[in-house]
Amino acid sequence: MNLPIREQSGVLIVEVGGRIDHSIAEEFTRALEPLLANCRQGQAPVLLDFSGVIYISSAGLRVLMMASRQAKAQQGSFAIAALTPLVQEVFTISRFNLIVPCYASVDAACKVLGK
Amino acid sequence: MSRLTALAAALLRAGRGRLFPVVLLAIAAGLLHNIERTPLHNLQAGQFDRYQRLQPRQRENEPVIVVGIDSQSLVAHGQWPWPRDLVARLLTRIQAGEPLAVGLDFVFAERDQHAPELIARRLPGSAHLLHGLPDPDAVLAEVVGRAPTTLAVVGLSRELPGARKPLHPLPAVTMDPAATTALPHFASALASRPELQAAAGSEGFINATPDNLASHGERGILRRVPTLAFIHDQPYLSLPLEMVRQALGGGQVAVDQGSAGMRGIRIGDYHLPTQANGELLLHFGKSSANYYLSAADVLAGVHPPEIFASRFVIVGFNSIGLQDRVISPLGDSLPGVDIHAQVIESLLEQTALRRPHWMPLVEMSALLFGGLLLIAAVPALRPRYAVFTFAGLSLSLVSSGYLAFLAGRWLFDGPSLSVLLAPVFMALLGSTLIAADARRREAERQLQSSREEAARVAGELDAARKIQMGLLPDPEKCFAGEARFAIGAVLEPARAVGGDYYDCFMLDRQRLCIAIGDVSGKGVPASLFMAISKTLGGTLARRHDDLAAAVHDIERELSRENPAYLFVTAFIAILDVESGTLDYVCAGHDAPMLKRGADILRIDTDTIAGPPLCALGDYPYIAGRCTLSPGDLLCLFTDGVSEAGDGGELFGTQRLADCLATLPDNSPSQQCALIRDAVRRFEAGAAPADDLTLLLLRWNGPLSGY
Repeated sequence: MNLPIREQSGVLIVEVGGRIDHSIAEEFTRALEPLLANCRQGQAPVLLDFSGVIYISSAGLRVLMMASRQAKAQQGSFAIAALTPLVQEVFTISRFNLIVPCYASVDAACKVLGK
Repeated sequence: MSRLTALAAALLRAGRGRLFPVVLLAIAAGLLHNIERTPLHNLQAGQFDRYQRLQPRQRENEPVIVVGIDSQSLVAHGQWPWPRDLVARLLTRIQAGEPLAVGLDFVFAERDQHAPELIARRLPGSAHLLHGLPDPDAVLAEVVGRAPTTLAVVGLSRELPGARKPLHPLPAVTMDPAATTALPHFASALASRPELQAAAGSEGFINATPDNLASHGERGILRRVPTLAFIHDQPYLSLPLEMVRQALGGGQVAVDQGSAGMRGIRIGDYHLPTQANGELLLHFGKSSANYYLSAADVLAGVHPPEIFASRFVIVGFNSIGLQDRVISPLGDSLPGVDIHAQVIESLLEQTALRRPHWMPLVEMSALLFGGLLLIAAVPALRPRYAVFTFAGLSLSLVSSGYLAFLAGRWLFDGPSLSVLLAPVFMALLGSTLIAADARRREAERQLQSSREEAARVAGELDAARKIQMGLLPDPEKCFAGEARFAIGAVLEPARAVGGDYYDCFMLDRQRLCIAIGDVSGKGVPASLFMAISKTLGGTLARRHDDLAAAVHDIERELSRENPAYLFVTAFIAILDVESGTLDYVCAGHDAPMLKRGADILRIDTDTIAGPPLCALGDYPYIAGRCTLSPGDLLCLFTDGVSEAGDGGELFGTQRLADCLATLPDNSPSQQCALIRDAVRRFEAGAAPADDLTLLLLRWNGPLSGY
């Protein structure tokens, strides 16, 4: 799984796209691993740009939950931005915005997270 | 043994399967270079004979007449050797027809036994009777001297008793000394008596070189005859060529020579191609008896003298008893004298088989080209096409041999090349097949192991599915005879087992607990977690009076042992079946639908919903409350319904709402089945990705009896 990375206002922005379901969950976990390893206190916050994600299943949510837990344990900052309507609906139903901070757009997130 | 085969296979496959074929090709080239020393030489000679049989030389006119000493002649005139005055009479008859040249295919080496003084020696006292009788040798010599006559000479490799040198060598032949060494050289010869030699105009040798006389059980086939030989270092032509030279007036003979030796011989205007050693590869014509005359008939004057006019006449043996026969490449058994006739015809037609010194080079090039072509092509092709390639190559080599012969009497050996290329091809094909076999075995092994793996996983999933299904209550059995409400439920696991569950049980006589849940992820861990969630949910809901506190407790208990970080979305509700009051907690689950008359409503979870169980581990859930009306139908579902896809679109909550709205008024179990069927129809055969779970609860209102 290819995750293009860019930096904006001191925030590490990771572009995620496509369907995040059971079949890709493991790959998604592995792709996030190196980013999360550096997501700790004093390091750049990690922001997933979800504008390209068209669907997320419970397996995908589980990956986000674990990523969030790891970031929290390392006192790092981990968030998601720019959810598409369908994904937003899933987040709303599952209340995942209580687990991972969600922002309307990348810019909005950078304003909060960036320095 | 297996080590030997492994070694052979390794050898065959060395250098990507090309090293061994290259070695074989090199060996094949070596064999072709020394083909005379291999059994292939017989194959080659046989093939050249086959060309001749396919197209023998056409014999259109008959420039030669053979006067044969045949069985009839021996009966009429007695045993051979005849008295020479009889031979002289025969010669006189022939000369009367004024032939172009006459050749005598025998050697008169000794004196005639009928010479008067020899008889006198055997019969003492008869000398006076015999005195005055003519000497037969002298008579023959006198007749021989009358017209151009060529005598036969036999070249000998060593001095024998009675050997005699011939007297009439060719006028000086200009030849490269190096080229002459390849020609036959005879140290000695057997020639006719000096008075005959002196009378005759010329002499020609009658040696021939039949093939493989020594190595063959059968008699050798005569394919080649020498044209020019040296006897006592003097050049001589063969008898038939010498006859032609005499007929042309006895001019010079020119030798056509190149760097590799002799290439041809020219007599007057007639040219014949030869081998480097001066041998002529005769193109044989079919044998014929037309030009054979019996010596007895000629002596008896049966034929008019004109029959010999403007012809070459050879006198020779044509009798089984005299045993001078050869086998031609056409398979004919011919009297030796016939060869002379064929040589004269060939010279006059200027035709001979052609196998110049560069022909073996052409064959070598063809072999190497064909071999390298195979080495390049066969490993890259499928075995079927590789076989076609070799078959095509062999066919074109063999047929080009035939075409070369038909086009210009060229002798090109196609079959030997095919035979030499066969081992190269077989080695290539062998290594290709071994590689293909190894690939096939590897593929089979992988297929087998993936099948085993699939079977193992399927077994696990099957077990997980059984656990999952075994835990689910059957609402129809549980609430048989219940009039206040009715429940229907369906759970259809997907192929990759998920972790859906539902539950329904009475907390006491008045309170009904219903629950639906979906464990994140799939497979065995999810289904086991589902089992724990369901059991724990049931236990703790019974223990607590407050639903929200119960759910809070469930989450804490579940999170205690959750190494895989699974979580569960769930909707748990308690219905007071008397009053219709519904208390509920939503943990990240889809809000259930409510069918009230013709309206489809959603249970309001917006304000009270929390995250899935175990997502945070210690979330303080809040319970919501609403009141059902009698006849209300509550619909709990998982994303196996709302997110069922047909490959593009999702089923969605709107379709579910529409489906609910149109449900007929029968039992919740039947209604569940109808909704399930609608979802499956929408999927249109696409394999479901997730478990499909539905729970329908219809509240009929309080019992009228109370």
